[in-house]
Amino acid sequence: MDQESLVQALRKAVQELMPQVDGVIALRRVGDAAAAHLYQPGDDLSDLTVAAQFPLPTSVRLIQARYPDKTFGVVVRGCDERQLIELAKRQQINLERLRLIGVACNAEQAQGCKCDLPFPSKLDFGEAVDGVPQDFLDEFLAKSRQERLEFWKHAFSKCLKCYGCRNICPECFCKQCVLEEGLWVKTGAVPPPFPMFHLIRAMHTIGKCIACGECERTCPADIPLTLLYKLLRRDVESVFGYHAGADPNEAPLMDSTIFLADMELLRPSQKG
Amino acid sequence: MSLPSPTAQPAYQPKIIGFLCNWCSYAGADLAGTSRMQYPPNIRIVRVRCSGRVSAELVLKTFHEGADGILVLGCHIGDCHYIDGNHRTSKRIPMLRQLLDYAGIEPERLRLEWVSAAEGDRFARIVGEFTDQIRQIGPIKRVMVT
Repeated sequence: MDQESLVQALRKAVQELMPQVDGVIALRRVGDAAAAHLYQPGDDLSDLTVAAQFPLPTSVRLIQARYPDKTFGVVVRGCDERQLIELAKRQQINLERLRLIGVACNAEQAQGCKCDLPFPSKLDFGEAVDGVPQDFLDEFLAKSRQERLEFWKHAFSKCLKCYGCRNICPECFCKQCVLEEGLWVKTGAVPPPFPMFHLIRAMHTIGKCIACGECERTCPADIPLTLLYKLLRRDVESVFGYHAGADPNEAPLMDSTIFLADMELLRPSQKG
Repeated sequence: MSLPSPTAQPAYQPKIIGFLCNWCSYAGADLAGTSRMQYPPNIRIVRVRCSGRVSAELVLKTFHEGADGILVLGCHIGDCHYIDGNHRTSKRIPMLRQLLDYAGIEPERLRLEWVSAAEGDRFARIVGEFTDQIRQIGPIKRVMVT
């Protein structure tokens, strides 16, 4: 199925779903780009589109917070679905009031996001393609510790402290953020002193980051943030067997009562 | 056993911060003290209500302020005064060690152990081992100065 016929079929499905819901949240073509839009019954669906990159769950969360009693359809890609599940685990959205329409990303889109799982668990449109191998993680770990330190010091020294990574992140919903507290991150200091800002944020992504890569794409300084988050995510998967966004009935990892009985399971690399 | 002469003292004395839980590990340290057990004086102990209170930002800030090593001691799993506070610690500190490693900071600078109120000897042994280890790794300044 090519991209055009996929979008056609999707518009038809949204049209059919519309009478059962109060609206459908999907991406809408705006010039060459795409942005979230709430389609309401009777709306023209001819500009409804799919795109690989947009933090749609944030829009879903905000719309649902505004209209808690309404039921919405949502056109979700793999990343959207997993993010919605992580948000639901933390009581930020109500999955029961959402009707998800799953769309797979094509190989080209997956490559653009370096996505390792470019399709939702409930797939309605498109064909699931293989995820992109995450070889670059091991390539990074092949560096010595000193090289890694220099790498991150250089990357973080470019930080403008614009908070773009946090603001774009669909999983960052706290009303009060530690990154704004002078106690932890010195106010008025740019770049933020190593290692405070970025390593705190990295720790806070554990168990909920699904590696959509929005933080990295939005960063005006091109800091490779997802590299750091993906390394932690891989540990979470291999050690705790916790796959962020897989199961809505699972408790959020870092706040749950699961414990790591054998601390040696997480063994830091031996390279000096 | 002869005492080392004052001039034989190693020049570098690491600064170690210990976050000890109020209910088990702090009492364990107390036992080590009242039992006159010997352990290096490099550790500065901060009593916390629970090892689960030791957040990632607290650890990172402590390193940033110049601690060469951080020891987090809590109740054994199942003994937590707050039932599951140390369950969070058991995931957070190992994950933070991984993160330090990825960021190029020696993960050995951060150590998590369970020490009960009855384990004064274990406390003294851990502090001794850890101090030796940090002395070998060297000052954190090298890492933190940008």
